[in-house]
Amino acid sequence: MIRVVLVDDHELFRAGVRNELSGLVDIVGEAGSVAEATRLIREVDPEVVLLDVHLPDGGGEAVIAAVAQERPAVRFLALSVSDAAEDVIAVIRAGARGYVTKTISRDELADAIRRVAEGDAVFSPRLAGFVLDAFRSGEPMGADEELETLTPREREVLQLIARGYMYKEIAARLSLSVKTIEAHVSSVLRKLQLSTRHELARWAQERRLV
Amino acid sequence: MTQIPVLSFQRSERDRVVAGICGGLAAALGVDATLVRLVFAVLALAGGAGILLYFALWVWTGGRHPVIAVLILALATMGLLQALGVPWSVVLGAGLLVAGLVLLARRGATLRPGGGSLFIPGIALAMAGAVVLLDHLGSSGHVFGPGALAGALVLVLAPWVWRLASERTERIRLAERAAIAARIHDSVLQTLALVQRDADDAPRVRALARRQERELRRWLYGSGYGDAETLADALAEAVADVEEAHLVRIELAMSGDAPLDDALTQVVLAAREALVNAAKHAQSDDISVYAEVEPAAVSVFVRDRGIGFDRSAVGPDRRGIAESIESRMRQAGGSATITSAPGEGTEIELTMPRGGAS
Repeated sequence: MIRVVLVDDHELFRAGVRNELSGLVDIVGEAGSVAEATRLIREVDPEVVLLDVHLPDGGGEAVIAAVAQERPAVRFLALSVSDAAEDVIAVIRAGARGYVTKTISRDELADAIRRVAEGDAVFSPRLAGFVLDAFRSGEPMGADEELETLTPREREVLQLIARGYMYKEIAARLSLSVKTIEAHVSSVLRKLQLSTRHELARWAQERRLV
Repeated sequence: MTQIPVLSFQRSERDRVVAGICGGLAAALGVDATLVRLVFAVLALAGGAGILLYFALWVWTGGRHPVIAVLILALATMGLLQALGVPWSVVLGAGLLVAGLVLLARRGATLRPGGGSLFIPGIALAMAGAVVLLDHLGSSGHVFGPGALAGALVLVLAPWVWRLASERTERIRLAERAAIAARIHDSVLQTLALVQRDADDAPRVRALARRQERELRRWLYGSGYGDAETLADALAEAVADVEEAHLVRIELAMSGDAPLDDALTQVVLAAREALVNAAKHAQSDDISVYAEVEPAAVSVFVRDRGIGFDRSAVGPDRRGIAESIESRMRQAGGSATITSAPGEGTEIELTMPRGGAS
């Protein structure tokens, strides 16, 4: 079973998630703050960290920043009640491999953890919408044009995710393999994390990010 | 709080010649009683002020007739000033002022207003004294007149103004608290009560919790209640309504947003119809809405993962809903495309061109 650390400052919520995921993943530790989480991740070296975006002593991105260098194999999946685009994008840019909202069902969450553990990116429909918004129209300004824009195929895949299609359905619709769909999503994630796109910076600033 | 140091003393039982006033004062001041008696004797020569002062203090220490004590004290002041050759109007003004201030000071030795019975007469006397005094100073061309009057007014009125201001702040705070309490009662507590009642009905509890979460979030961070002003807000409202009414889970995703105009209002209404249709007929509680605002057009996709339908084979009620959505969009200048097959779920795409948008 995948070894998972749960980071959330609400004990009640942690208890709920632990209960839901019992038998599906192995919860090896829980933390309620950035300091606790950092210590715990160093100690138990989990495969996946389920990470709340808001913590009392900093954001989820602070946890990623603290341990990503020394534990490159640990994958982060952001889990939040937040609807705000800036929270989502901030934690993704810090290095999280996906974002799901807390209303996600048990099986979907277990599936998302599995995919993140395998190195895939997990985009909820909402995140796909935010990313499309971030990369919309406007001329690329950065030096590396490949990083600054989405390909038509990537855009197509993201739109279908936003519309509520699963990877399998998208693959069938576009006559591609699921692996190819996953590759497109991972490519979008990389662009989102590395892009210096003017448009993206402006978009982020409008939402008081960066 | 403005404290006025008030000399408190008792008549001396031990060191007394007449009533023990001088002995008591001397003990309170920490000086020799003979010195106090000497001062009183000198003052007695000034228009009898010393004798009056003595009686005033005697009545004062009795504590039962403060007004009489004050009147005698005022008379003593007037006698003293007149003996010193001060003009009559100044003497009267000073007497009234002293009487007023002493009455005020007696009220717990504080200038803060509060319900003391002698407060109003005290204020009145002090004001009258100040006016008489200042009138004299003013008519003699004294430059301090207006300033002194203003000062006196500030001194008298400031505590009131201060109290009114602090009361107002307190009222606003209480009103805010009441509003928060009412909102929490109307929403959160109601929801918790419903959750307890329907604890065994998981889909209903989930829907209640989701709706409450949305409401609270919108209230705390969002545009507040009332009519939605943007497409995103209006869609979020429609989604929340349908979720609650039909106990389904709807995922809403947005890319971009636009102010809500008449055409977009029709889009939201059509989307709502599509959501209700999916909630009622799809036999799936997994529904997605995605809205995309592009410069040229707004598109809304409503998708369910339910049983789907063959348009030529369904009953008139489902077809009717589909046709209603199509005609609504057509009339508003847009279009609706319905894609469905049995077992494959349904997707309704609503498209509205944006005129004049750059």
